[in-house]
Amino acid sequence: MDALNHVMYYVGASALLLVGFYMVLVKTNLIKIMLGISFLDTGTHVLLVAIGYVRGRTAPILSESLRRSVEVGVAKVVDPVPQALVLTAIVIGVGVLALGLSIVVQVYRHYGTLDSRAVRGLKW
Amino acid sequence: MVAAPLLIAAPLAAAFAVPLLRLVAGRVVRFVPPLALLANLVLGCTLIPQALREPIVVSIGGWRPPFCINLVAGPVGVLLAVLIALVGFLVSVYAVAYIRKEPSDRYHMLFLLLLTGATGTVLTGDIFNLFVFFEILCIASYVLTAYDRDRAGTEAGFKYLVQGTVGSTLILIAIALVYGLFGTLNMADIAGRISTVDSPALFVAAALFVAGFGVEAAIFPLNAWLPDAHSSAPSSISAILSGIAIKAGVYAIARTTYTLFNAPGLFGLLAVVGVLTLVVGEVSAYRQREDVKRMLAYSSIGHIGLIVFAFGLATSAGLFGAFFQVVSHALAKALLFLAVGYMIVKAGSKRLSSLAGLGRDMPVMGVAFAVAVFSLIGLPPFAGFMSKLSIVYAAVATERGVMIALVAIVLAATVV
Repeated sequence: MDALNHVMYYVGASALLLVGFYMVLVKTNLIKIMLGISFLDTGTHVLLVAIGYVRGRTAPILSESLRRSVEVGVAKVVDPVPQALVLTAIVIGVGVLALGLSIVVQVYRHYGTLDSRAVRGLKW
Repeated sequence: MVAAPLLIAAPLAAAFAVPLLRLVAGRVVRFVPPLALLANLVLGCTLIPQALREPIVVSIGGWRPPFCINLVAGPVGVLLAVLIALVGFLVSVYAVAYIRKEPSDRYHMLFLLLLTGATGTVLTGDIFNLFVFFEILCIASYVLTAYDRDRAGTEAGFKYLVQGTVGSTLILIAIALVYGLFGTLNMADIAGRISTVDSPALFVAAALFVAGFGVEAAIFPLNAWLPDAHSSAPSSISAILSGIAIKAGVYAIARTTYTLFNAPGLFGLLAVVGVLTLVVGEVSAYRQREDVKRMLAYSSIGHIGLIVFAFGLATSAGLFGAFFQVVSHALAKALLFLAVGYMIVKAGSKRLSSLAGLGRDMPVMGVAFAVAVFSLIGLPPFAGFMSKLSIVYAAVATERGVMIALVAIVLAATVV
């Protein structure tokens, strides 16, 4: 059980990534493909946070209790860099998702369907 | 010291000034992109002598490297930034008259953002910043592909978005792995410590970088989006996608593989993938009988293959040939797409047969078209000949049988 605890976040991240890849590759509904991309984003974010996580430490937010001593404070928090990266990545992910869904709306207006097998106006 | 960040800040600020300016000045916003890019061009040219002496490193935020976000304007980075500004400037002048549908402020804003992303990609010294600028470039190009909102454009835009986003996810996973191994995001710092780590995760990360940036660069198994996107986008955007966007992908591949990963097996793989891309691209271009822009798009895939092959040689002569080819192809293909875009407007159709005899009615366009084509296929007085020659020369100079066999395939394929 303890071994599982150590790798739990990595297992979760890989599971989310696999679900995302599966949905992007297999699903034929355009909205489900966009959902798959959302899963991929989330999986990557969990992976990034898991890499910066140190067991037993707290969030890297400068609070009163941490401020009393810099040495003690730094030893108490997890790596803040991956969390900053995740914040940026979340913003990018939301932008891409919104853009993708708006393009799906345009595709639906032109083709009258969300089935990717029917959307083949361009030859390969 | 202020000048290098300005290369990125100027188009970014201009991009967000465009919608505000439209409220007060209306159609004048058409002239913002040419002005901003002309400023970038002049700025880039003044930086060249300094960058050739030694790389300009600018730390942002007042921390010292490797803790800060930094920009590295080396010789290659500044030269590519100048190339981006030059091609962007020429295309934006073309777009002043080409984009007729008003309001055009969204077009001009996204165009400037695309070039901001490309400039940032070539100037950054930080692996996560590379990802962020690359995403700016990608997102702007998804939107611009679907800009006309017609049937073909939206479909191509959706395909491009899905494939590009999966590629970006792979890049982010690779960044996570690299950060886990080295605990830093600074490229120079990672390159310095690369020999201390010998882990399979390093090779996984390298493969993910090549695959992720390879989507945008359209190397062979990942090129499905390119013919659709480049042929359905407005012609000025096709020019910038073929001239700049895919080059940024190739540059990112080269930057990550050369600076971050000292893995020799990787370069042999790159050379083989490059030749495969070239053969697939050129043969597909030859088979196109109907859509002229689709044919040019496949030809771009072929040239990307040539550039990746030259990178894969892993010699300084090969690098020189690759960058020479980047410059000559960016100029020639941008010119070609712009000329063809004008011809399509005149002829009213993208079909190859409808363009027959247009050279007689439009002699200037005909000459421009001919010059670009001659440079692409590599006829002697044009730049395309010299760049191809330097790649072939570099391949023969490696004196490895495999490389010489591959360059024979290259020559056979580019004759087509």
